[in-house]
Amino acid sequence: MTLAIVLVITAALSLIVILGAAVTRSLQISVGTSVGSQIQPLDVEAFRNLADAAEEAYLRRRLPTSEFHRVRRLRLRALAAYVRTAGRNAAVLVRVGQIALASSDPATAQAAEQLVNQALLLRRNAALVLVRIYVAMALPHANLAGGSVLEGYNQLSRAAMLLGRLQNPAVPVRISIW
Amino acid sequence: MFQPHSILWHYLWVAPNLLLALLAGLLWKLDLHREFRAFFVYAWFQAIQWAVLYPMDLISSIPALDFWRVCTGSLLLESIIVLVLISDIFASVFGSYAALAQLGKNLIRWAGAVLLVTATAIGTRAPVNEQVRLVSASHIMEETMNLMVAGLILLLFISAAYFRLAWKRGIFGIALGLGVNACIYLATWAILANGGLPESARNVLNLVNMATSHVVVMAWFYYLLVPAKLTARHLETLPENNLALWNRELERLLQQ
Repeated sequence: MTLAIVLVITAALSLIVILGAAVTRSLQISVGTSVGSQIQPLDVEAFRNLADAAEEAYLRRRLPTSEFHRVRRLRLRALAAYVRTAGRNAAVLVRVGQIALASSDPATAQAAEQLVNQALLLRRNAALVLVRIYVAMALPHANLAGGSVLEGYNQLSRAAMLLGRLQNPAVPVRISIW
Repeated sequence: MFQPHSILWHYLWVAPNLLLALLAGLLWKLDLHREFRAFFVYAWFQAIQWAVLYPMDLISSIPALDFWRVCTGSLLLESIIVLVLISDIFASVFGSYAALAQLGKNLIRWAGAVLLVTATAIGTRAPVNEQVRLVSASHIMEETMNLMVAGLILLLFISAAYFRLAWKRGIFGIALGLGVNACIYLATWAILANGGLPESARNVLNLVNMATSHVVVMAWFYYLLVPAKLTARHLETLPENNLALWNRELERLLQQ
């Protein structure tokens, strides 16, 4: 009977998630807010610095072990915040790109497709890097590689820039900085 | 009212299956069966399954054992068709995006394997009534199949929400219906397969399953046949902000 109770609770929770997803989808369709304004600024240079293995090696050499571990944890927390923001921005750009996919202009639609694919790749990489960051937080001697997110981020920026240009040819470039 | 062969029982077994056959016919007529090929096969299978099992249940000369043999056999076939349908939904949701097409395939393979092992392990723990072994086996199979379906559909909804993927209306409706059906069925079959319930409670649970099927079929009519409202979706202009700085950063990174 315990097994039955566990399965009933699992089924009830699953049902809530599925119905929640359905409600969220219908709200997204009906509200139609300006998603572009949801993009948050992100300092790429600070992100690069935090993800830099050489910087970490330098701190390891210079600081006492206990101090290094404390600093490293703080850096990892900051890095995680950057990655989460990058992931959220990528999610916003997925929606922006999907709206632009319906464009009658083939060049805009093509740029939108590229933007969506790169944003999805970044979102996937952000999730993977977040897992690595949390592992690194738990295991102080584990290595961390944030390069894939940085590379994805750069590619995404180029795609978003191209889409911005195609949508507004009169304006030299209309694109956000994250 | 909740007894087998009551008017409500007949209605809830007949109506959803006839409606599903009607929906399959309409999909064919509207030439939508190519777009929803796996669902089209599923709908016809459900209708045919009913057309065989319903008379078998009513004709008193057919032994109960034969009914349960056919029921268990058709359940096996239904499991395969449902898994193909879910695989088709995964392909439709993830396949439109080059960046995620492979991830979608991996998700369904690995999650399917893990869920199959879990569902089998749970199924083997369920008590089997030796007197009605085939009935117990059928309930355990239902429980196993619905655990897999609920797990896969849940994974699909969570991953699609995480990646903010756009669903095609029909595919969303099919997945939603399968998910709701599987969750309700999983809960009821788990109780039926694992708990020693009185006959009256078992009858109510069976009717809950049948009523859920009815609601889901109505939802499928809505999602597959009623066109979506056209919303004026303008192209977004991306916000202007610190462009010069961003360009400098990009150039610096590209030159590394």
